[in-house]
Amino acid sequence: MQFTSRTATALAACLLAAGLFVSAHAQDRVKYESQPGSKVKLDGTSNIHDWTVESQIIAGFMEWESSYPLDPSQATPPALKVVPKVEVSIPVRTLKSGKTLMDKVMYEAIKQTEHPKIEYKLKEMTLSKEARKAGDPIKFDTKGELTVSGKTKPISMVVAIEKGDGDALKARGATPVKMTDFGIAPPAPKVALGMIKTSEEVKVTFEWITKKAP
Amino acid sequence: MKSQTETIDLNRRDFLRDGSFASLMVMLGTVELRAQNVPDPKVEKTYAGDPVNVALIGCGQHGREILRHLALLGNASVVATCDTYPAMLRRTKDLAPKAEPTEDYKQVLGRKDVEAVVIATPSHQHKQIVLDALAAGKHVYCEAPLANTIEDARAIAKAAQDHPRFVFQSGLQMRSDPQRRFLLDFVRAGAAGRNVYARAQWQKKTSWRQASPNPERELAVNWRLRSETSLGLVGEIGMHQIDVLGWFMNARPVAVTGHGHIVQWNDGRDVPDTVHASFEFPGHVMLNYSASLANSFDADYEMIYGTDAAVMLRQNKAWMFKEVDAPLLGWEVYARKDTFYKETGIALVANATKLVAQGDKPVEEAPFAENPLHFALESFLINVNELKTGVEDFNATFNPNDTPALVKYLASIKRQPAAGYREGYEAAVTAIVANQAIQKRTRIPFSKEWFDIG
Repeated sequence: MQFTSRTATALAACLLAAGLFVSAHAQDRVKYESQPGSKVKLDGTSNIHDWTVESQIIAGFMEWESSYPLDPSQATPPALKVVPKVEVSIPVRTLKSGKTLMDKVMYEAIKQTEHPKIEYKLKEMTLSKEARKAGDPIKFDTKGELTVSGKTKPISMVVAIEKGDGDALKARGATPVKMTDFGIAPPAPKVALGMIKTSEEVKVTFEWITKKAP
Repeated sequence: MKSQTETIDLNRRDFLRDGSFASLMVMLGTVELRAQNVPDPKVEKTYAGDPVNVALIGCGQHGREILRHLALLGNASVVATCDTYPAMLRRTKDLAPKAEPTEDYKQVLGRKDVEAVVIATPSHQHKQIVLDALAAGKHVYCEAPLANTIEDARAIAKAAQDHPRFVFQSGLQMRSDPQRRFLLDFVRAGAAGRNVYARAQWQKKTSWRQASPNPERELAVNWRLRSETSLGLVGEIGMHQIDVLGWFMNARPVAVTGHGHIVQWNDGRDVPDTVHASFEFPGHVMLNYSASLANSFDADYEMIYGTDAAVMLRQNKAWMFKEVDAPLLGWEVYARKDTFYKETGIALVANATKLVAQGDKPVEEAPFAENPLHFALESFLINVNELKTGVEDFNATFNPNDTPALVKYLASIKRQPAAGYREGYEAAVTAIVANQAIQKRTRIPFSKEWFDIG
């Protein structure tokens, strides 16, 4: 086949358009990447005592439309035009209770070897209608998908966004989840005469620190 | 009946003779102190993560003891054994059938699959092996004492400090022992009153000499008997006992006076077979230590004397001997009592009250699970796994070159109780100086700088 000048021009136009689109897309969005210092906490209870499990490893990113003013100092932030892209994962083995036996029971309950990560993907996000003053964190009502132990379930929660040091962004939130929603039987470990029974309700609290990608 | 608050001008024996039945029952208790969290040896233990690939460097008597414990721990896989003497390697075959034997430790450190090394060579050889092992990216368990000189011990501690990505555990196994950790809380909480005095001894009738087939081997195997290569009884044995007492009292010695002589085994050795060392602690609290290879009476024990009671530790058992004017502790009524000649001791079992309440008997002793070395190695392997996966997860998520953030993250990971480089270094300094005092039969004040790692 022989290239005519016309096809070459058309091809060039296509490439240009594609290039423009890519750069426009990149300009449109601003990416924040996960940073050390984040924390996620699971609080639960059992018939014997309350328990807490923590991890400091939150992997992932969030991508905002670049025109959106992520500035809590303004009194009335505008509505979101585009739902930000948010993907988060937590390695199960980084969740620690401070007790090796309990950790082992927990990893087994989650089937850590088959499903080593807890994952979250944001689906919907709107500015919260809750009253706020200038300087307060900007709150959003969110809906997303949480995957634990290979099972995915929708969850909704309020997420507060605030500025961190420099170009860091801090996201905070909390939500209750049920172990049984993810096919996890509340552990009843074979210790202490098998008398420990865990409640299926767990409260997830997180503080996620991200920084503008270079 | 005499009340507890009444001033009683009696010693314990008089009180026992004259006291009422109820107080007699209380006083008749040597309360045995035992840890609550001692795991039941009958329950098979499993661990998070894959077993750690371990190499043993130094396969003498103690090295083989370490292998025996590693063989029983589900979180260890011994992949290499190393000793410069082939006969020692042959003796490890049954204990570590999957391990590849080698005579050159550098070959072990060169193996990628080796994650951790346990160093049980003679103390004077530790330094170079530890430095090379850390540089090669291995987690290190180094037997106590860390070294025979302050310079070498400091080089080891400094290297460990400079390698926060790796576990460095010093072989002060008592620091990992649940029984001693229970007693630590007991003593620190003031259950025996204010500490006023401490004492420890180790006695065994033995030459400490090992048989050897030739003069060259004789020199190598009996390194403990030459002052050039050995810290003697106070360093090879006493340091564990002295460390435990200093740990309980939460203090470092300020001076030590020593005496040492060869009184029994005058066979060419220059390391004393009988030693005494008096350690001065802050607040005029003295710790007297004695060890002898000439007499075995009363074996070994550690004692802390408080204003309310004396606490005696004998290997994994402990008892409390109360003063007549000491406040009554609720649980002691139920505690087991043992008689020692004319004294009665309340056996200190950490879970005593709970066991009584449940109508259960204390956990039976299992020969290996009750051994502090077993707990120390278990802690080491769990900590290696924690740190190893911690580094992997951090590097997979964040910038692996962000060392300060990584170090901060690793420091936040909770570890199993174990002696680190700092504890190992301070115990080594104490033993090194005590040995000098013993050799010179003099008093040496500790300089604060000696305890600085830098």
